[in-house]
Amino acid sequence: MIQLEQVSKRYANKTALDHANLHIPRGAMAFLTGHSGAGKSTLLKLIMLMERPSNGRVIIDQQDLSKLNGNQIALHRRKVGLVFQNHQLLEDYSVHDNIALPLKVSGYNNLDAGRRVRAALDKVGLLSKEKQLPRVLSTGEQQRIGIARAIVNKPRLILADEPTGNLDPKLSAEIMQLFEQFNQVGVTVLIASHDLSLIERLPHPKIHLHQGHLSGAFIGSN
Amino acid sequence: MTTDKATSQAQRSRPETLGKRLLREHAEVALSSWIRLWRTPITNLLTWLTLAIALALPGTLIIMLNQAQGLANQLHTSNQISVFLSLQTSSEQAQAVAQQLQQRTDIKQVTFIAADTAMQEFSLASGLGDILQSLTDNPIPATILVEPQLKSADAIGLLAEQLRQQASVDQVLIDQLWLQRLQAMVHTSQRATWVLATMLALGVLLVMGNTMRMQMESRREEILVIKLVGGTDAYLRRPFLYSAIWAGLMAGSLAAIIMTLALTLLQPSLTDLASSFNSTWQLHNLTIWHWLVTLFGSCGLACLSALLTVQSQLRQIQP
Repeated sequence: MIQLEQVSKRYANKTALDHANLHIPRGAMAFLTGHSGAGKSTLLKLIMLMERPSNGRVIIDQQDLSKLNGNQIALHRRKVGLVFQNHQLLEDYSVHDNIALPLKVSGYNNLDAGRRVRAALDKVGLLSKEKQLPRVLSTGEQQRIGIARAIVNKPRLILADEPTGNLDPKLSAEIMQLFEQFNQVGVTVLIASHDLSLIERLPHPKIHLHQGHLSGAFIGSN
Repeated sequence: MTTDKATSQAQRSRPETLGKRLLREHAEVALSSWIRLWRTPITNLLTWLTLAIALALPGTLIIMLNQAQGLANQLHTSNQISVFLSLQTSSEQAQAVAQQLQQRTDIKQVTFIAADTAMQEFSLASGLGDILQSLTDNPIPATILVEPQLKSADAIGLLAEQLRQQASVDQVLIDQLWLQRLQAMVHTSQRATWVLATMLALGVLLVMGNTMRMQMESRREEILVIKLVGGTDAYLRRPFLYSAIWAGLMAGSLAAIIMTLALTLLQPSLTDLASSFNSTWQLHNLTIWHWLVTLFGSCGLACLSALLTVQSQLRQIQP
């Protein structure tokens, strides 16, 4: 599902990835660890086409991302659900409208979008909050709304960048359970986190990123 | 509603055709951008007024000058020559000159205006009756209006030259010359107006572009999130284009209203001016055609400006 071939990403004064190889199969759930600033976000950004690699190829779902341009980038992003640490909800949109955004850009009508939004809200257990504004919700609830937005389009791949960064251990565990539920129905999940105490308790493969080099699970040249 | 039920319902929903989907999306965006306009009505109204004045100023001038040119063209058929006799000429002598001119084969018609008659007309028209009566001598000469047989400029010029040679003739004016000057003036004013219009249109583009830039800056976060969830540039462009269309329509309507008011105010004095030239010319107000040109022009400028700005801003705002 996620394939990195000799991928390097260099910035002016540092190397985030150095000839990295990675192959995460379809349906897997994995953690990407490393101290903050190690380049975990860079790896996710390469998958989302928010950045381009300096060298090498990134292949997602058998598609070489270096070949995508313009509208193809947008179409690629629709296939990936992205969860942020700071949830990135729009303040003047209701919970419903925030979650409906990925559907609206794909051209869903209000009726179909409404059904899918409620299904997604139901999965994260916040069906009653549909009409509220994000700022009246707790941090944990806001993060779940962010997750609902990431899954509403039924992506085959979910990326999460420090999804539990702002949450206490109990809420963090709940969020991880949600990701496990999606993984159980076949969604590939990659979670970047430096919350080792939490992820060490979970039975999923870990990929470690240190000074631009990957180690741990799913490593090797294909 | 349970999850599974909701999901299966969503899957069962009938797919739309592409045309229907685009139509629905455009209608939705048109409506939502219209509603958004009224969140900041004062700011928007001021922008529309600025644009409207920039459009109305050259618009009013162009409409007036086009009509003035029509008038000048219409008067062009007049070939009259005005012959002013010297002040020393007596009334009898003057009439004799007029009769003599009437005999000529190259003159079609002669109209004689005696000095006294001219004086009476002038004192009535000018309202200076009392002052004029206090004068011992009549300062206005006898005038003969000559309508030449031939209409060519050369023939008229030759005739005027011959008339100038005559004894007791003080001055000869060819109306055509005056008309040519009027036309040249109208032409120059038209050119100047188009230059002005071009500059103001550029101003409209800049004002609109700046408004768009500010709108996009205030929605930066929204644009970023939409880009990340897979919104295409066309999708992101749409609300801004519609807001430009609405702004163009509002500014165009305001401009047309301002032009109507301006022309209504100018009408009486211009009609008076025309009647002083013995013309029944009237300034016509905006026609439906003028309205359409103003609305479409305004919309076109707004859209052009939005297209240029939005495209470059969208390239800059990247997640």
